[in-house]
Amino acid sequence: MLETRNLDKSFGAVHVTRNVSLKLERGERRVILGPNGAGKTTLFNLLVGELTPNSGSVHLAGADVTALPVAKRARCGLSRSYQKNTLFDGLTVEENLGLAAAVHTGNATKLWSDSLVKPEVREIVDEVAEQVNLMPYIHAKVSEISYGVRRQLEVGVALATRPLVLLMDEPTSGVGPEMSKGFHDLLNNLPRDLTMLIIEHDMDLAFDVADTITVLNYGEVVFDGLPDAARGSKLLKEIYLGSWEDA
Amino acid sequence: MFRHTALRYTVLVLLASAALFQAFTAEYFGLEILTEILILAMLVLALDIVAGFGGMVSLCHGALMGVGAYTYAMLSTKVGIAPSVAMLGAIALTGAASWVIGAICSRSHGIYFIMATLAFGQMAYSYVFEAPAFGGDDGLGGISRLDLSIIGVDLNDSRSFALFCLAILGAVYGASVLILRSGLGRSLSGVMHNEQRMRALGLTVWRVKADVFGLSGMIAGLAGALAAQHILYISPGLLSWTVSGEALVVVILGGLGTLVGPLVGAAAFVMLKHELSAVTTYWHLVVGVILIAVVMSRANGIFGWCEARWGARIDRRLADATGKHQPKEVMTDA
Repeated sequence: MLETRNLDKSFGAVHVTRNVSLKLERGERRVILGPNGAGKTTLFNLLVGELTPNSGSVHLAGADVTALPVAKRARCGLSRSYQKNTLFDGLTVEENLGLAAAVHTGNATKLWSDSLVKPEVREIVDEVAEQVNLMPYIHAKVSEISYGVRRQLEVGVALATRPLVLLMDEPTSGVGPEMSKGFHDLLNNLPRDLTMLIIEHDMDLAFDVADTITVLNYGEVVFDGLPDAARGSKLLKEIYLGSWEDA
Repeated sequence: MFRHTALRYTVLVLLASAALFQAFTAEYFGLEILTEILILAMLVLALDIVAGFGGMVSLCHGALMGVGAYTYAMLSTKVGIAPSVAMLGAIALTGAASWVIGAICSRSHGIYFIMATLAFGQMAYSYVFEAPAFGGDDGLGGISRLDLSIIGVDLNDSRSFALFCLAILGAVYGASVLILRSGLGRSLSGVMHNEQRMRALGLTVWRVKADVFGLSGMIAGLAGALAAQHILYISPGLLSWTVSGEALVVVILGGLGTLVGPLVGAAAFVMLKHELSAVTTYWHLVVGVILIAVVMSRANGIFGWCEARWGARIDRRLADATGKHQPKEVMTDA
């Protein structure tokens, strides 16, 4: 469903993504691990088109999308949530979801009708609000809801475009343990045919959700395999998991 | 996202009532001032749509109004087209020119967007100023008004023309609300709040900005065609950047991003201008001081200040009276 081939990116002398090749099958849930500065978010930016690679390519559902701009890749089915909330703060939860659903259903540029009352938009808004537990807050403005609920909305907005592949950049970043548990359920309850690539520092969530795990270090893939293999990997203990197991 | 509130409805009704009262009771000079307010109100509504709801602060809307005025004048006086068709032509041509300007400028933001629109405006001004076909700096005269004799209305009568402008302004306000509540308007609001996210959702951002800029230009073109019919003479000064600057002052004075505020601003500005200019030639200084006071008060213009002070209270009382309550703010984690 999503594939990168020898993806490479440098900022001047700093080589942040080194020859990264990944292949995600339809419905696969892959978690990307790696220490700070490993190039995880840069990889996401390369995948969605916010950054242009120096070399290599990105393929979505078999088509090369490397040359496509951000908006076109999104319309091809690539959606992302951000590490820092990137929402429409002055609008309500419903309007946030509605904007995403309107783009997906082709109602975002129509002049003669209100996109939010269109049945196809409403259907997505209601469904996603249920999926990410936002129904109690549906009429509240983003500025009125708590940080944890905003993280749910961050994922919800990405989901409302009905993507083929969902990229989530640390969805539980900054939320407490209780809320984090809720995210386990939320992610596990998403449709099984949705392909997901998740950057996550919460190891419990990573091993709970992941079908496969990829570990990046200094922009390079140093491990690619099943969660059980990741747990037993010596290399991972040295570069990343050691600190987690000792903790 | 644009919403009507009880206060907004109240102010709209008050403004419309005052305009109707003035239209039916005022003498010639009063009617001229009213018409001036109504035409300026159309221009500032056009500017509020792009600046207040799209974050596109334009310094070429005066020039767009000028394009509408000159197109109407050229088509009706030089080409000999019927005024009604000339008016539609003026709206269409200004809309098309605005769309192109919007499409080009939408790639820039903030001060660069302002400068780019200013450059387009000044290009139009310079061209009209120099081109003999447009009358150069002498301008164009001999402009006629729409012929509505078929429905028994003589627009050469100041009262009828003022009422006609009021009806057009009502239609423009309604169209502005429809634009802002449409899918396109909602997307524009999304772009203003978070352009990066809208792009990441799959929206072609420049296209939305260009489309709304084009629609706003159509309104400015309509205002221009009416301005030409009001004065019956036009000059390049209509396209000057100072007209755009004045429109921006009116929008800020009234309340950016409220639609109702710019209407209040237009009325306040024109009345201040006429009252103060009768007392002193330095009336711009007084308007400047008032603008500084409004900006420094951190209120969103005159109407924004009223909304902040009374808006919530009026809505609450209305909710109490009707038994309809908004859900309380939600601050807890799931």
